[in-house]
Amino acid sequence: MSKENEEKLNITVRSNTKDLFAFTKLVPNRKKRIERASSEPLREDPINDLAWKLHPERQFLIIDEIKKETKSTMTFKLVSDPDSETKELAYFRPGQYISLKIDLEGVRITRPYSIASTPKDALKGFYELTIRKEEGGFLTRYIWDNWKIGTKVESSGPEGFFYYERLRDLTHLVGIAGGSGITPFRSMARAIIDGTIDAKLTLLYGSSQEDDIIFYNEFKEMEKTNPEKIRVVHVLSCDIVTLEGCEKGLITKEIIEKYCDANSSTFFICGPQIMYNFVEKELKKFNLPVKRIRREAFGEVKDVLTQTNFPKEVAEKVFKIKIHIGDLTKEIPAMATESVLIALERANFNPPSKCRSGECGFCRSLLIDGEVYINPVSDWRRSADKKFNYFHPCASYPIADLEIRLPRDL
Amino acid sequence: MSESNEQRIEDSYDVVVIGAGNGGLSATAFLAQKGVKVLCLEQHNLPGGVASSFVRGRFEFETSLHELASYGPKSNKGSIRTMFEDKLDLDTEFVQVPEAFRLILTKPGEEMDVSMPFGVDNFIDTVEKEVPGSKESVEKFFKVAKEIRDAFSYIGKTKGKPDQGVLFKEYSNFLKTAAYSVTEVENALGIPEKAQKILNAYWAYLGLPMSRMNFTLFASMVLVYAEKGGWIPIDRSHGFTSAFDAKIREFGGRIEYNTRVDKILVEGGKVVGVETTNGDKLKTNYVICNASPTLTYNKLIYPQSEVPEIAYKDVNARIHGLTGFVVYLGLDATPEELGLHDYGYFIMDTMDTDDAYDSWTKLQAPKGLACVVLNNAVPGCSPPGTCMLDITTLYQPEAWKDVKPEEYVDLKNKLAEELIIKFEKATGSSLRGHIEEIEIATPATFARYLKLYKGIFYGYEPESWDSIIPRLSMMGKDVYIEGLEFAGGFNRRAHGYSSALADGLISAQLTLGKLLQGGGKA
Repeated sequence: MSKENEEKLNITVRSNTKDLFAFTKLVPNRKKRIERASSEPLREDPINDLAWKLHPERQFLIIDEIKKETKSTMTFKLVSDPDSETKELAYFRPGQYISLKIDLEGVRITRPYSIASTPKDALKGFYELTIRKEEGGFLTRYIWDNWKIGTKVESSGPEGFFYYERLRDLTHLVGIAGGSGITPFRSMARAIIDGTIDAKLTLLYGSSQEDDIIFYNEFKEMEKTNPEKIRVVHVLSCDIVTLEGCEKGLITKEIIEKYCDANSSTFFICGPQIMYNFVEKELKKFNLPVKRIRREAFGEVKDVLTQTNFPKEVAEKVFKIKIHIGDLTKEIPAMATESVLIALERANFNPPSKCRSGECGFCRSLLIDGEVYINPVSDWRRSADKKFNYFHPCASYPIADLEIRLPRDL
Repeated sequence: MSESNEQRIEDSYDVVVIGAGNGGLSATAFLAQKGVKVLCLEQHNLPGGVASSFVRGRFEFETSLHELASYGPKSNKGSIRTMFEDKLDLDTEFVQVPEAFRLILTKPGEEMDVSMPFGVDNFIDTVEKEVPGSKESVEKFFKVAKEIRDAFSYIGKTKGKPDQGVLFKEYSNFLKTAAYSVTEVENALGIPEKAQKILNAYWAYLGLPMSRMNFTLFASMVLVYAEKGGWIPIDRSHGFTSAFDAKIREFGGRIEYNTRVDKILVEGGKVVGVETTNGDKLKTNYVICNASPTLTYNKLIYPQSEVPEIAYKDVNARIHGLTGFVVYLGLDATPEELGLHDYGYFIMDTMDTDDAYDSWTKLQAPKGLACVVLNNAVPGCSPPGTCMLDITTLYQPEAWKDVKPEEYVDLKNKLAEELIIKFEKATGSSLRGHIEEIEIATPATFARYLKLYKGIFYGYEPESWDSIIPRLSMMGKDVYIEGLEFAGGFNRRAHGYSSALADGLISAQLTLGKLLQGGGKA
């Protein structure tokens, strides 16, 4: 092919004249086709309609029922707010969460809660959220004091990746739950029973007190009616145990292998951070492939000071964050031991956020200047985001004065 | 809240770019570099549109790029590499993918399994090996393709006003093939049927059957891959789109994410401003719109009475392209362990592209797949002992129109499983025991993140009447609102990353020209 011109190529598709004529007609033909087309606007877009039903940016909900589960736990039944644009609730996968936007005496914060009801319940028009009142937790105290039937609540669409995926997971699921981490498993168990999921669930549920066990009777009933599909083992860490058929202590390797064949199960873990730390060590002893252990993101790192590589010398410090958001520039204080997102919320900024665990990427912001600490377990940044200094405020702690650019909430 | 009012952007800009997809990014970067006061508004919280990435577990997946065309090695730069390195100095790194493609046809009686190299001569020789006696005709294919390339370059040099005499004398084959489909020209060249199958393997990148695909555009694409190779960023498409973002800011331009334009304000046939759902009111006389004309005329122009009848006719006359379906797999085995030695696999039942296209109009396992094992081009892209495989196919959006939310997960899993099995059968690889992460993107996923009309990410289909030559010839005459330009895959150069990137640059140059002519500041 070195000397292309040694023989001039002469292609004929139909005939020399016809081919050249066809070329000269290209533009007139295009004009003609446009001129002859319909001038009707396009109205329908079923694909965006489907996308919107699956992933609404907002859902406007209203509390329809409240049920006390334990001394410190309540289940809120939420339906769509009839005065809003939300006409139906988004379908979801058992194990997913919704992120609530809560106005807390003028400060707007977000909080993710696993949906405790089933996808089929969503089709019937409701979600259930089961919320435990946390010791010293200002948000849950607010909920306890203020949420009543008729209270309006705004949420995101369903989010998160903590769900059974049949192309990936084995059909024997072992749920390891601690405290209020039981909620996604209630959704999964009920979805197994109603046929949404074709799998079996063995649940190892750790509680610190007998009267802290959430859904005790409900799971007993599910076990009784579906013994081949659902099994629940309560593991109690308190000294005196009166309930029958419980295990004492923590969820150890021994307890795990007593109730399942670890090598033919997929593990799902949801609970407080302290439980993860323990259970992960126990599971490590089985030498399982990474794919066999799924973890729900556990929210913000509770005590960042205990993280090994956190620079302890800044622990007491309060830094300044210079914020750019839209056309506004403002400076706010931020404690080294609280996430940048919390500092922003305290100062009445509410950038988009959902998971509060570094996972969903929704709060992705630009770090113009300064330095943040990011716990490796919550570092879900894309590689180019690391390179170009984008970060997730929900999983980052200021360890110097910062200058940042935030996205506005849509 | 007052805070949120203060956050509003209320200013005037020389140019507002709507959308930070490939075309929007290159347009914004060009204008910012020229010192134009430009603002790019993106509804998602990331740049890139379909050119992005996402993280699941230990993996960062590429959203859509299989191989970038027109990039080329340092010694033989393509136009995109020139743009990235020489014009914009983007902080990004690409590597060449190892081979052109491996084509596997699976229908009994028509089986084929051929790996094609880059390099025009290598390509021709490999086809000759597979199809003895094809050499002369395939050489002709590339000769015409080169003539087309040279003709475009000549037309470019004459700023779109070529001397007709020169065109007829030097580039007659360019003219004479311009109105025909790939099939028509390949038959005229006498290319044996089996050799056509190999030559046509890239068809899925444009996504219309060879009987309707315009030859000019297709031959140009095959040539540019053969000559310059296919290239991929080392840190996914998010790597280079983030580099754009950083460079735009460095040039003094502005990108605002999570900001959705809902109105392009038009008065008396002229753009006067833009409004967003965040309440921003921006004055501008120039908008470069990375959204499709379909979406723009039907949804964005305000008031609607400012949309001329011809604009609706234009988008209704054109054939909307395809949306897609991607299975992203993070596997806990290496490519060697899985027996996957190639980077790009085209797996088809047959190379009957009409039949494959037809399979994309129904909700069934499609007959054509394009698959990529990223680790075979970027070895360190996932942790040791793992690899990433994407299996992509296409759909007409109508196939998905009746899907209900409660059927959605089962449906996408069923289709994904069928594609995985198809891949396993074709390659002899066993994937299903190794899936550590899986994500499945459907037309609804593309609609969700990109807000595309019907989730369509390929632009208007480049049949000959609406291919690159008539589109370029009507440049300037097919924008029906003063101050409005489009940029991206729906525009004059048709779809694909390199086309969209190059198109953004043209739109920016045109807009700059108008600005300099004193079309004026807002």
